[in-house]
Amino acid sequence: MTSTLLELQDLSGGYPPVSVFRDVSLVFSPDETLGIFGPNGHGKTTLLKTVAGLIDPWRGGVYFDGHRLNAEGDMPARPSEYVNYDFFRRRRTQARTAAQAGLIYVMQNNLLFPELTVEEVLAIAPQAAFGRPGIVQMKDTVDHLFPRLKERWQSKIRYLSGGERQMASIAAGLLAMPRLLILDEPTLGLSPKLRVELANAIHTIRDSGVPLIVVDQNAQFLSNLVSRLVLFEHGSITREFKGSNVPDHDELITMMFGETRG
Amino acid sequence: MSFETLLFVLASGILLGGLYALMATGLAVVWTTLGVFNFAHGSFVALGAYIAWQVSQLAPTGPGFVIGTCVAVTTMFGFGMMAHFILIKPFERNPSMVLLAVIATLAAATLIENSLLLIWGPRDKLIAPPITEHVSILSVHINAFELMALGVSALTLLALALFLRRARLGRSMRAVAQNREAAELMGLNVPLLFALAFGLSAAAAALAGSFIGAIRFINPSFGVDPLMKALVVVILGGVARFSSPIYAAFLVGITEAFASFFLGLYWTPAVLFSMMIAVLLIKPEGLFGYQSKTL
Amino acid sequence: MKYAPPFQRTNGFRPVLLTFAVLMILPLGLTDIYSRHILILIFLYAVLASNWDISLGLSGVFNFAHLAYFAIGLYTYALLSKVLHIDPWFALAFTPIPAIIFGLLLAAPILRLDGIYVILVTIAAVQLLQQITVSQSTYTGGTGGMILLPRLEIAGYRFSDDNRLGYYYLSLTLLAASTMFLYKLERSSIGRAMKAMRDNKYYAISRGVSEARTRAMTMGISAIFPALAGGFQGAYLRVASPDVFGLGFLTVILSILLLGGVATVWGPLIAAFVVVGFSQLASDYGAWRNIFLAIMILGVIVIYPGGLFAALQESWRQANRKKTQVIASWSRHARVADRLRLMGAPDKLVVTRHGPISVCDTQVGERVILFIHGNSSCKEIFHHQFQALRTHYRLVAFDLPGHGVSPNGRPDKDYRIEAYATIAADIIERLQLGKPFLFGWSLGGYVALEYAASGHPLCGLAISGTSPIATYPEDMSRAYQPTTHMELASTPIHSPHEKADYAWHTTRQSRTEALFAWRAVWRTDGEARRQAFAFLPSVKWHRQMTFLRTTQNPFAMINGPEDPFINHKYCARLMRLCRNDIVHLIDSAGHAPFLEKPETFNETIRPLLNMSFESQTNPSNNRGH
Repeated sequence: MTSTLLELQDLSGGYPPVSVFRDVSLVFSPDETLGIFGPNGHGKTTLLKTVAGLIDPWRGGVYFDGHRLNAEGDMPARPSEYVNYDFFRRRRTQARTAAQAGLIYVMQNNLLFPELTVEEVLAIAPQAAFGRPGIVQMKDTVDHLFPRLKERWQSKIRYLSGGERQMASIAAGLLAMPRLLILDEPTLGLSPKLRVELANAIHTIRDSGVPLIVVDQNAQFLSNLVSRLVLFEHGSITREFKGSNVPDHDELITMMFGETRG
Repeated sequence: MSFETLLFVLASGILLGGLYALMATGLAVVWTTLGVFNFAHGSFVALGAYIAWQVSQLAPTGPGFVIGTCVAVTTMFGFGMMAHFILIKPFERNPSMVLLAVIATLAAATLIENSLLLIWGPRDKLIAPPITEHVSILSVHINAFELMALGVSALTLLALALFLRRARLGRSMRAVAQNREAAELMGLNVPLLFALAFGLSAAAAALAGSFIGAIRFINPSFGVDPLMKALVVVILGGVARFSSPIYAAFLVGITEAFASFFLGLYWTPAVLFSMMIAVLLIKPEGLFGYQSKTL
Repeated sequence: MKYAPPFQRTNGFRPVLLTFAVLMILPLGLTDIYSRHILILIFLYAVLASNWDISLGLSGVFNFAHLAYFAIGLYTYALLSKVLHIDPWFALAFTPIPAIIFGLLLAAPILRLDGIYVILVTIAAVQLLQQITVSQSTYTGGTGGMILLPRLEIAGYRFSDDNRLGYYYLSLTLLAASTMFLYKLERSSIGRAMKAMRDNKYYAISRGVSEARTRAMTMGISAIFPALAGGFQGAYLRVASPDVFGLGFLTVILSILLLGGVATVWGPLIAAFVVVGFSQLASDYGAWRNIFLAIMILGVIVIYPGGLFAALQESWRQANRKKTQVIASWSRHARVADRLRLMGAPDKLVVTRHGPISVCDTQVGERVILFIHGNSSCKEIFHHQFQALRTHYRLVAFDLPGHGVSPNGRPDKDYRIEAYATIAADIIERLQLGKPFLFGWSLGGYVALEYAASGHPLCGLAISGTSPIATYPEDMSRAYQPTTHMELASTPIHSPHEKADYAWHTTRQSRTEALFAWRAVWRTDGEARRQAFAFLPSVKWHRQMTFLRTTQNPFAMINGPEDPFINHKYCARLMRLCRNDIVHLIDSAGHAPFLEKPETFNETIRPLLNMSFESQTNPSNNRGH
């Protein structure tokens, strides 16, 4: 029997007054790997940031493992332009709550903490996992996944290359003992060689049984990795493919942009 | 002038530098963590000094100073944490937060200064120092209490540095300072860590305040001078490393000692401020810094 | 493009005139020295605070050395008149020069700095200045300051005579001049450069605005009036003391600026009344007064950062909403006959998901046309069509919420294009209109498109004065001409002149020709204008464009070539991308062709109507043109 790990119910949000995504509904069960594909600037990252609790959603609900992560009801209106509502109203969602529940979001192009060493970052990473077992094995796993990080153990994050930083981010995410790991464009801006290395690592993570949601621009990488793929355009999910129906890169491009006009 | 005089001026400069280092580090901790400049820092120093004075009145000759200092430091730690939730937190998501924080802390400084005036009156006060002997080092007579103040300041700064480097809480504080979103995503309690930074800063201010209160007379508005000195130190040194303001503090202390010896009291602040403006013109990130702010 | 009408045509004109008139005759009533003294201080502090807004608000340069200008003015006056025995009037006139030089000198170190560093440097500069002033005690009197400075007099008439009447009018003149200067500055090219530098520094630089020059200008220009105020205070109080460098004085002026609200001339003036008045009343309470001021500053920035002026504006908008609501409910009952004569059918309220809506329905006929009017208009705008087309069609039109005789809606929910489309859908359902033909004008065009794009039933669609767009805000600048009227369309409160301007340019009918249309502008809830624009980013524009590209229903754009708003080239290009579509141009018509040239318009739309309704009865033949 498959249960539901993450559920989005008619989720809408954005940066007031600009609405970025509208009425997004999604059900994610722990035994699948979900890919999200869509053009830049259509709101994927804003959606994921809202799910992870960094941005307050406007409407709808985020349920993780049956618990609602955001406050009940719609975000109340702000009738006055000038009143500082931040002082009167609590945040409607907390990234900390989501992280402690095991929903770990690895940001796009994550800068992490530039002045901390790799060791220091990975030492504070397990704080969210307080109370979840298996941290010792996970440290081993991370060491095996990213041997490069061991070599740069005492380097500050700001001296790492883009790929190494991405590895450090994913490693930090793994050390938080995720029950769901969301990776936002993990291969963005990497050299082909590093991209392959990182893609292999992500495949290994998937095979180790960590439920994954991956956003990427590289359709080939996605279609090899995921068991389900959704297209995200103009702030909503427009199409969905399962299992063997997941299209390859060329098909996706045709679908998104149509056949070229004569 | 004789070699002894030179040494004496140098020694008093170093002692001064120790106190400045304590105050400036407190200021730098808040600046690097929250990205705001706390103009109420001087009044935190004054408030700490008055609390220490009040408590030390219980046993003016005996352990009064030590008890007073301990009470002042703990009280101010709590006070600082509270101040964060009133002065900074309400508009942490406002785009013009930097300006708002300056105004809020300026208002807080006025508030504290006038409250001190109401509670303790305008008369000058002095905390009885625990030791009054003088010691002689390299034929220079130094007030033993001032030497003790220097030692305690150094130890405090060392402890603070170790806390930030080694302790998980300290590391988390540095992490929050560098990337707030990433810290939130790691499950860190960001508001609490911010408040902690403010509390530590206020505690350091209180410690500096009780030392100053035992060295010279204090009145409700004496916080302006330490604030300005700390401001000069922080700008002069930059905040790139934990140690940058400390170097700058000793530089400022020694400069001040020599300037007031050779040029007189009136011109000393002018020298310091000119130095600061010159540094800003040539190297805005500070003498001991590079373009970044962190702990 | 920024809408910048001449001052006498704006909303601010009358209050300004009234205020200065009252202040001019006020000394007749207030003859005692004390109240005039307080008023003089209020004027001075208002000048100081409002000029601070040039750097803090307009340019975003956090200059905390602003009060040094005042101090420099004060000491310049004192030194020139007392030490060098120069004529006091000349000394006063000379005060801005050293202040401007100081400002320009200070501009050099802060040029490379941002935000907090600017604050620190400027505060340090003030401290430096204070130290220098205090150290030169032979001339400046050190910490004690200078006393018995020369006073101002003309031909033997002392300005302090007649209970300081001369000083009163001189300070009022200073305030008036400063206010006028600020108003002009904000609308000048320098003011615009300052704003551009504040809002997007790198974009402004890339467009050729010089950062160094703008910052130097900011620092120099904001020095003029504070220095004059300082010189004036020297002549008036006859004392110069280093207190003016202190944080206490800074806090008072800052509280005036904050309580009043930044980016306005009015705020500091009102706040100066409150703060100075309070300070004088509470001057016996010393520390308590300062504590209260500090708490007030904290309260304002924590709870209501906009300040008094923003509060005033918000309550004005609320009052305006109430007023339009009263007008609407009154004319709903009182002007029934007028509307019946125009439309030939009575209107009634229909309850929708967004409140009751006034709907006019001719009730007879199988073929239904639904009309949707534009921003700040009303359903009667279609009265020519109601007269001419009623024999063949059933005609329905409604007033959008906040417009015409419909009640006002909730600003956050009802005043948006999606809500208007829902209202249209509800009316079609309640009145059982089946699959109507939709005609939308201007904003109503977008409503019609939104209605169609969300999959509601219709048989055809025509829009007038509307440019469909695919992305917001990028397409907006392509789809519309850069006119100032776009700004008017989103402004909540218009001056009478602006209302007339708007009514004329949207309809090209004089008040006598189309009284109802002019009245509609007066009646429209300002929030409807503001919110409709505020919510534009959340409309699913691409869905409308996709609908246009893929729809099987007949569609046309019927525009006037003299329409001052829309970009006709854009519309023509757009139509080539669509599948079935025509742009009709009604000769010598403007934004509202159906109102200006009803006969031509009706002839133009008739074939489209026939095609639409025939495709209904004969679905296999729906691509007939």
